[in-house]
Amino acid sequence: MPKDATRAPETLLDIRNLSVDFRTPRGRVKALRDISFPIRRNRIVGIVGESGSGKSTVLWALLGLLAKNAEVTSGEVLFEDRDLLHASEAQLRATRGEEISVVFQDPMTSQIPVLTYGTQMRDILYRRPGLPTAEKRRMAVEMLGKVGIPDPDKRIDQYPHHFSGGMRQRAGIAMALLTGPQLLLADEPTTALDVTMEAQIIHLLQDLQKELDATVVVVSHNLGLIAELCDDVVVMYAGEVIEAGEVREIFHNAQHPYTRALLECDPARIDDVSRKLPVIPGDIPDLTKARSGCIYAPRCQRALPVCRDTFPPDVARGEMSLARCHLLAGPHHDPSWPPPLDVMTVGTGEAGARKPARVKRDDPLLDVSDLNVQFETVGPLRARLKGIRTRHVDAVLDVSLSIAPGETVGLVGESGSGKTTLGRTVLNLVPAQSGSVRFEGQEIRNMPEARFKPMRRDMAMMFQDPVGSLSPRKSVRALITEPFQIHGITGIDLDDEAERLAEMVRLPKAFLSRYPHELSGGQARRVGVARALALNPKLLIADEPTAGLDVSVQGEILNLMADLQAEHGLGYLIITHNLPVVRHIADRLAIMYLGRIVEEGRTDEVFARPVHPYTQALVEGVPQPDPDRRRAHVSISGEVPSLLNRPKGCDFAGRCPFAQDLCRAQKPPHVTMADGRQHACHFPLGH
Amino acid sequence: MLYYLTKRLGLSAAVIGLVVLVLFSLLHLIPGDPATIALGPRATPEAIARYAEKMHLDEPVWRQFLIYIGNALTGDLGLDVFSNRPVTAIIMERIGFTLALVCAGMGWAMLLGIPLGCLAAVKPGSWLDRVTGVLSVGTIAVPSFLVSIWALLIFAVQLRWLPAIGAGEPGQLGDQLSHLVLPAFAIGLSWVGYLARMVRASMLEVMGENYIRSARAFGLHPQRVIFGYALRVAILPTITLIGMGFGGMISSTVFAEIIFARPGIGKLIFDAVMARNFPIVQGAVLVATGLYILVVLFSDILIAWFDPRVRESL
Amino acid sequence: MSENRSESETGLPAVDATGLPDHVTAGAIRESAARERREKLRMFLTNWQGLTGLILVVLFFASAIFAPWIAPYDPNALDVPSRLSGPTWDHLAGTDQLGRDTLSRILYGGRVALKIAAIGVSVALVAGLVLGMIAGFGPRWLDNLLLLAFDTVRAFPTIVLALAMVALTGPSLEMVLAIVIITSIPQYARVARTATLTLRNTDFILAERSLGASMARTLLHHVMPNVVGPLLILAAMDLPVVVTVEAGLSFLGLGVLPPTASWGTILNEGYLVIRDAPLMVIAGGIPLVLTTLGFTFLGEALRDIFDPRMGKGR
Repeated sequence: MPKDATRAPETLLDIRNLSVDFRTPRGRVKALRDISFPIRRNRIVGIVGESGSGKSTVLWALLGLLAKNAEVTSGEVLFEDRDLLHASEAQLRATRGEEISVVFQDPMTSQIPVLTYGTQMRDILYRRPGLPTAEKRRMAVEMLGKVGIPDPDKRIDQYPHHFSGGMRQRAGIAMALLTGPQLLLADEPTTALDVTMEAQIIHLLQDLQKELDATVVVVSHNLGLIAELCDDVVVMYAGEVIEAGEVREIFHNAQHPYTRALLECDPARIDDVSRKLPVIPGDIPDLTKARSGCIYAPRCQRALPVCRDTFPPDVARGEMSLARCHLLAGPHHDPSWPPPLDVMTVGTGEAGARKPARVKRDDPLLDVSDLNVQFETVGPLRARLKGIRTRHVDAVLDVSLSIAPGETVGLVGESGSGKTTLGRTVLNLVPAQSGSVRFEGQEIRNMPEARFKPMRRDMAMMFQDPVGSLSPRKSVRALITEPFQIHGITGIDLDDEAERLAEMVRLPKAFLSRYPHELSGGQARRVGVARALALNPKLLIADEPTAGLDVSVQGEILNLMADLQAEHGLGYLIITHNLPVVRHIADRLAIMYLGRIVEEGRTDEVFARPVHPYTQALVEGVPQPDPDRRRAHVSISGEVPSLLNRPKGCDFAGRCPFAQDLCRAQKPPHVTMADGRQHACHFPLGH
Repeated sequence: MLYYLTKRLGLSAAVIGLVVLVLFSLLHLIPGDPATIALGPRATPEAIARYAEKMHLDEPVWRQFLIYIGNALTGDLGLDVFSNRPVTAIIMERIGFTLALVCAGMGWAMLLGIPLGCLAAVKPGSWLDRVTGVLSVGTIAVPSFLVSIWALLIFAVQLRWLPAIGAGEPGQLGDQLSHLVLPAFAIGLSWVGYLARMVRASMLEVMGENYIRSARAFGLHPQRVIFGYALRVAILPTITLIGMGFGGMISSTVFAEIIFARPGIGKLIFDAVMARNFPIVQGAVLVATGLYILVVLFSDILIAWFDPRVRESL
Repeated sequence: MSENRSESETGLPAVDATGLPDHVTAGAIRESAARERREKLRMFLTNWQGLTGLILVVLFFASAIFAPWIAPYDPNALDVPSRLSGPTWDHLAGTDQLGRDTLSRILYGGRVALKIAAIGVSVALVAGLVLGMIAGFGPRWLDNLLLLAFDTVRAFPTIVLALAMVALTGPSLEMVLAIVIITSIPQYARVARTATLTLRNTDFILAERSLGASMARTLLHHVMPNVVGPLLILAAMDLPVVVTVEAGLSFLGLGVLPPTASWGTILNEGYLVIRDAPLMVIAGGIPLVLTTLGFTFLGEALRDIFDPRMGKGR
């Protein structure tokens, strides 16, 4: 990063010494502290960081659209010689949308529901009074076509709720690019989307950037997306830029201990699945407090005494590369840092094998066969009025699955795949229409609650939202001892039990008197685990166990679950969309698409040789956190269809690159191959 | 839309049916002979017999109910006990006064309250916002019947600027309008406050939505953002509030009509209650309630018209 | 669209944070509960509206409870020679046409208002809470049935319903209470139902079910604590409405009957002599305004502090 005041000519936007505070009831949160970096013309710049890093705040500060309680305390943002931070509101307005435009994180909430796309896009072109309305519409239609919306001519007159999630995000990109801005900002552009959609959006952004010669800034927590899409990368931690550089420098030769640790924690980068996942211990520091020394020192494995009280130097490497660490320069320079990439710098908490050898396969703990779950979509009266004949959709269709004691089965699918419904049906939280669910040989499907209640002690569930699945007005102590009360277990000391469970999930005792909203995601997740395991169940169904957790802490939960499994011989059903994570924990995988299991087999085999084209698409769809492994093309297009429009033949036929006439006409049956793998495909890959 | 309309209409019809049932059973639930209750203890036996026959009191209760419903559907709400005139005709004479008062009261409240709320929301914390805040709490805190009394005291009795009672000479528009001013002021005043606060609150909420941030990020003009985007969404809960609040408006109207001796439906019901003239009470309450249900229905349809999601999904 | 509800509602992928804004750091979230309570107290104490409201409400309670000790006269003591007097040292708020001391009558009238408000609101709140939770958690048909019942009750404008009921039974304190309770229940029930419905599909209620918690336990331990808060705030806002309804009905001669002192009867008697003794309707109205103002301020301050998202009209 240039230290002098002159800017290199290729710099489009220069952020200098930007500091932003938020005034909150708890005091001033110093969300950004003295950050500086340039954004170079015609490049895709990624700002990466975990929650609380301030990465989105940077973006909103550039636009002058910070929340009302925010205050820019210092700095300047130079955009072509104009300082955006000190520009008048009118100047800013002329810049926003015309020269700098934005793609938003959640297309479901960032587009106004009561106006058509035509109106919204015409509004964006309001600064061009000379342009006739028909011409504006033509431009909008053209742009919608360019981002891949079919029939743009007709769809432009529709409202956002007529568009599916992926289509909405495409329309959002079209709106942002309509005016041909020089700088496009994208705030977590794929976070709200499914894996297969994410890949498409990444490529769309890449293609459009090349075509329109724009400069793009992408804010994301997703290392894979950054590696796949960006040219330059800025790494943020707790409101500071701790490292910046070209994408290969960052991913192949990271200088800062935090960057190194972050990369090491990403399960997608770890090929050895037999080891435990690494973890960065601790939490982001309290940003209301004044800091001295390195912001990362409290969590850093390499922290020296000096790190805690002396501010580390910014060590420049190249034109825009820098890292802020005592190890890199000055009296504490360590020439052996950073170590080669294959040396791990963060630990896993414990050494040793992740998992004991596979126990012998007993009788299945859980055995689901031909299970069907239907949801009513319209009431009988409405169906009659609207002439709808089928009032139900199949959320789960002919699903068979079994879990042995001590086994972990991963149930993988995108939204709408029915994976969550399946999990809930097993626990009798959702009624099933047909099929059977056997637990230790006993049929439990739709068993009356009174009879089923004792069995709930053996089957526990962890829900997706770690904080949201805890009753908000109960203390942690009350929450983790509630299972004992529900099942009327006497002869135990509840306080002792609470402490035992807290210790089991490695939650400090002081937390027992806290309430859910006072917990971080990882801590709340531990409480969820403690509750689920309070009664020593035999089966645990975990719905997205890493949802809402940062990369650096998700390993803690997964390692904890693995330890508990080794200790108690639990059977796990892990419901997730996150393939890199499930690869590390599951023995077997079942891939679901539109309510059907399309492939099932041992995890390593499924990853190595997917049989179903959809599995292949999922495996390839995950962006790799390695800029040298960028994908040249997207293997599948389109989106998961609505359950209301289930295709007649194979559910995947409409998106499958190998689909043939048979696929469109006939549903493929479930087939068990010689090696025990199952699939539902007419033309399995590699056969 | 068709489905939505059908559903809303069906619901409204069901509620009106239940209202009739409630009104009807109120009369029949109380112990004693309905005719005696209706006509009072001093009625002659002949009058009671005549009434019983006219009201089909010798029939079983459920038949009486069906007869009442059937008659009500054809616009026949029975006869006034004293004058023997059709209740429907009496109500029609009076309803104009009530409608004029309600429209005038709600009208001025909307014209003042909605813009005030908008302006206050655009600059929260400004002097206009604070003044609006204090004024609206102030107006909400004074019950409408008290406003009526005090307005009568100040403007009619003390200052003598405006007429105190009646609805003005028939046919003389100016006179009728001058009689309308005070009651309309009285019933609308608290609504200015309600609406201003409501619009402000929902505007502020909408202004915090992601799509407003999007519009601003695309550099749209603030006027377009506020009136074309935010108000367009924020007006929806306000419409619901106005529809629901219409019942309160009718209550205020009853007071205003009694205090200003204005011959509308409210005064009609009150006088009929005092005179124990039950067919009038029954009929006029039904009309007042029906009016309210219609307004709520109308506000629901208006929302469906404004909001494509409601239009299609319900 | 309700396709696969259970999944589309919770189907968000692993988001960056736990849904928290980026700038709130994990460290800042985990503040102790005590500090948050102190913070809320501080917010309340620095909110002048809330403080004013609290003072007015305390005054209302104190004056009503201690009326027999602080009232200068017996509220029904006649003093015919000094009838209809203006403010004097003997009668600070003047006297009525029978020479009764208006100040004393106002203080005693507060007792009636407090009684009706306290009983009416608490009964309506409890009933509304129970009915609302049943509607929200029970089967669909029961929900629809209860909704229809609520809609029917709400279809009657309060005063119109009161008129219809009083027409049949005659005025009394109990009647006023019944009317207040019946007309208030639907709004409590609706708020409770909406809150329960939202809770019903949350992960934590599902989590309770997955642990085997009975419906009673779920409702009592996990739903109710989260529903009661908004209802209490609603009650603070509803109290002045109830006081107003009582005063209004008594003003019309349909509520508390003379000679019992109530703010409504004072206004009624004052209205009759409005041309000769305007002081009575002024003095009789002021406590009503102050009480309404007090509860409104207090309710809004509580709402802003505890439930900022509820800042909508009712």
